[in-house]
Amino acid sequence: MTDDKERLDRAIIAMRVARELPPGATVNLGIGIPTLVSMFVADDSIVFYHSESGVLNCGPLAEDGNEDIDLINAGGQFLEPVPGMAYFSSVDAFAMIRGGHVDVTILGAHQVSATGDLANWMLPDRGVGNIGGAMDLAAGAEKVIVAMEHNDRNGNPKVVQECSFPLTGKGCVSLVVTDVAVMEPTPDGMALREVAPGWSADEVQSVTGARLIIPDSVAEYEV
Amino acid sequence: MPPAKLDPQAMARRAAGFIAPGDVVAVDSGLPSLVPGVTPPDLGAWFLRNNGMLNDLPLSLADAAAVTRGGYVDLAVVNAGQVDAAGSFSSLISTVHSGPNPPGNAVDLAAGSGRVIAMLPHADDQGRPNIVATLSSPADGLRCVSAIITDIAVIEVDSGGLTLAEVAPGWSGNDVRALTGADISISPALREMDFSPPTGVPPSKVYPDGPSAIADVPDGATVFIDGFGGPGGMAHYLLISLRDQGSRDLTIVSNTAGIARVVSFGTPPGRTAIDHSVLIENGQVAKAIASFPVSPSVSRPSEFELAYRRGEVDLELVPQGTLAERLRAGGAGIHAFYTPTGAGTLIAEGKESRNIDGRDYILEYGLRADFAIIRAHKADTNGNLVYRGTSRNFNAVMAPAARVTVVEVDEIVEAGQLDPEEIVTPGVFVQRIVKRPDAFTGYE
Repeated sequence: MTDDKERLDRAIIAMRVARELPPGATVNLGIGIPTLVSMFVADDSIVFYHSESGVLNCGPLAEDGNEDIDLINAGGQFLEPVPGMAYFSSVDAFAMIRGGHVDVTILGAHQVSATGDLANWMLPDRGVGNIGGAMDLAAGAEKVIVAMEHNDRNGNPKVVQECSFPLTGKGCVSLVVTDVAVMEPTPDGMALREVAPGWSADEVQSVTGARLIIPDSVAEYEV
Repeated sequence: MPPAKLDPQAMARRAAGFIAPGDVVAVDSGLPSLVPGVTPPDLGAWFLRNNGMLNDLPLSLADAAAVTRGGYVDLAVVNAGQVDAAGSFSSLISTVHSGPNPPGNAVDLAAGSGRVIAMLPHADDQGRPNIVATLSSPADGLRCVSAIITDIAVIEVDSGGLTLAEVAPGWSGNDVRALTGADISISPALREMDFSPPTGVPPSKVYPDGPSAIADVPDGATVFIDGFGGPGGMAHYLLISLRDQGSRDLTIVSNTAGIARVVSFGTPPGRTAIDHSVLIENGQVAKAIASFPVSPSVSRPSEFELAYRRGEVDLELVPQGTLAERLRAGGAGIHAFYTPTGAGTLIAEGKESRNIDGRDYILEYGLRADFAIIRAHKADTNGNLVYRGTSRNFNAVMAPAARVTVVEVDEIVEAGQLDPEEIVTPGVFVQRIVKRPDAFTGYE
C-alpha cells in the first residue's frame, strides 16, 4: 500500500525542477507549483523570466502595499520593478514563445501521457475551460517541464497511458516532476528517472496510470 | 520652342493638392519624396516613407507595411517609370534599359492604399512617352492608379481610360496628347494646373467624455475590449460608458470575459475591479472570443460563465498567442496565417491544417472589429500613445485592428510633447481620445 506513504511537498517539487534551468535560460513559469520554482534558483544562476503579460526579466513579487496594477505577471500577481526589465505587447510575448526564444516552460497539468501529450486546460466535468498561453507554450517552448502532484485529490493517476482530457499539445512534454517521481516521456513510453526518498520503482508504478519503463537502477531525488 | 516643363518642386506642389486634412499619405522615393516638404503642417497629414518613418515616428519596416496593408493609407504617391491606359504602373525608368528597378514597397502600396497617384516625367529625354498603351516591364500594381501627375499634365484614370484634366502653364491639350503613348481624351473642363497648397485642419480626435466617444456603437457590433485580466490597462470608463449606452447583441473580443471581479486578478487588496461583467449582466453580449474566458476558480463563477451555462452567450475559445496574432493580422491586412499552436487538439477541429516541413500547422484568420476600447497612459492630440508597464499587452495589438479605436488615457498632451522614440501606438491607429475623469477609480 502506498496510501500513507509520505510524498514530497510542493516546495520540494519546485526545488527539483529548479535544477533543470540552465544559467542564462529564458524561462516561462505557469501558475501553481511552477510559480514556486523561482524561489529555488541559485542566486548566482541568472535566469530570465518571461511572462505573457508582456514582461521579460521579471523580478520578485511585490511587497504588500507596493502593488502596481501596471506591473503584473501572467498569474495576476504584482511584481517588484527591477533593473533590466523589458515590456512588450502580446504579439511580441507570443513571438518569443512560438519563435523558439523561450528555452524552458514549467507548466501544471491535469494529465500527461506516456509519449508526452499534455492536457491542462479543461476538466471535462466543467464543460468550459481556460487555454490562456498554455497551448502556445506547449507548441513553442524549446523544453516543456510539467510540475504537478502525481495523483489528483481523488487518487486518480495524472500520468496516464493516453490522455482522456482535452489536449493542450501532442508529444510536447520532455520531463515530468511530481511528488513521487521524475519521469521522461519517450516515443517508447514513460521512462522512470528518479524516485522520491523512501519510494521504490514498483510503488511509483502502482500509483501511475502509464506503464513505466523502469531502468535497472533508479536514482533517488537529490533535494 | 516648346513651353517649359515643370520642375520637380512644382510637380510636388500639385501632388500636395490631392491631400485632405489628416490623410495618411505613403510617399515613395524619387519625385514623391518632395511632397511632404511642400505640404502645410497644419493639414495634419501623416507621411509614411519607404524607410519606415511615419512623420517623426520610426517604425520597423514590418509595422510600416502593416500600416499600408491594414488599409490606413488614404493616398499613396508612387514613383512610376511607366503608366498604362488602365492605370497599371511599373517602376521601370524608361531611360535606363538595364532592366526593371526593384519594386521596393510599391507593390504593397498598390495593393493596400485607398487611392494611388503616380508621378513621373511625361516623356524621357529622347521624347519617348512614359504613358503607354502597354507597359514594357512587369507591373508593380495593376489598374490601381487613379491620377497621374507629370511635368506637363494631370491625367485622370478610370475604367474608360485616360482623360487629360489639367495642363502645365503654356501647354495645350494637343501638345500633351502628342507626347502621350496611349489613347487619351481631353476633358471638356480642361484647365491649367493649380499649385496652391491644400488647406484645412483635421477634425480633433479629442472627445469631451466617454459617452460621446462611443455613442455610435451599433447593436450587433464587434468590440475589442483591452487589458490582460486585471484592472491594469483596462478602459473602465469606456466600459461603463458602453454599458450605459446600452447597445446589444455585441461580440466582444478580449483576453478574458471578465474574471477580475470574482477572483481579484491583478487587483490590489480590498478593491473590486470593474470588468466585462458589467456588459454581461446588462444583457449586451451575444458572444465572447477569448483565451481565458472563465474564472480559474470553479467555485467562483463569473457573470460570463453563469450566462454561458444559461445558454445566453456563445464562446469562441482561442489560445492567447493565436488571439494576439489574429488581432495583429487583422490590423496588418494579413487575412490568415498558419500556426503550430493547437495542432492535434480540439482547437484544430474544423480548421484547415497543413504539414509544413514535417510539422502540423492550423489555419487561423485575422480578426477585425467595428470598435476597440483601449486604455493607455498618455495620448498626444495626434493620437500617439504611450503605455505603462505590463498594461500594453493586448491594447497595442487591438488598436490597429478596429475601424474605430477609442482610447481612454490619464493625460492628453499637445502633439510634440511625447518622445517619438517612446511612442508604442502611432496615432494613425487611433480615432478618438478621451481623458479618464480624475475622480474615476476603475473600482466598484
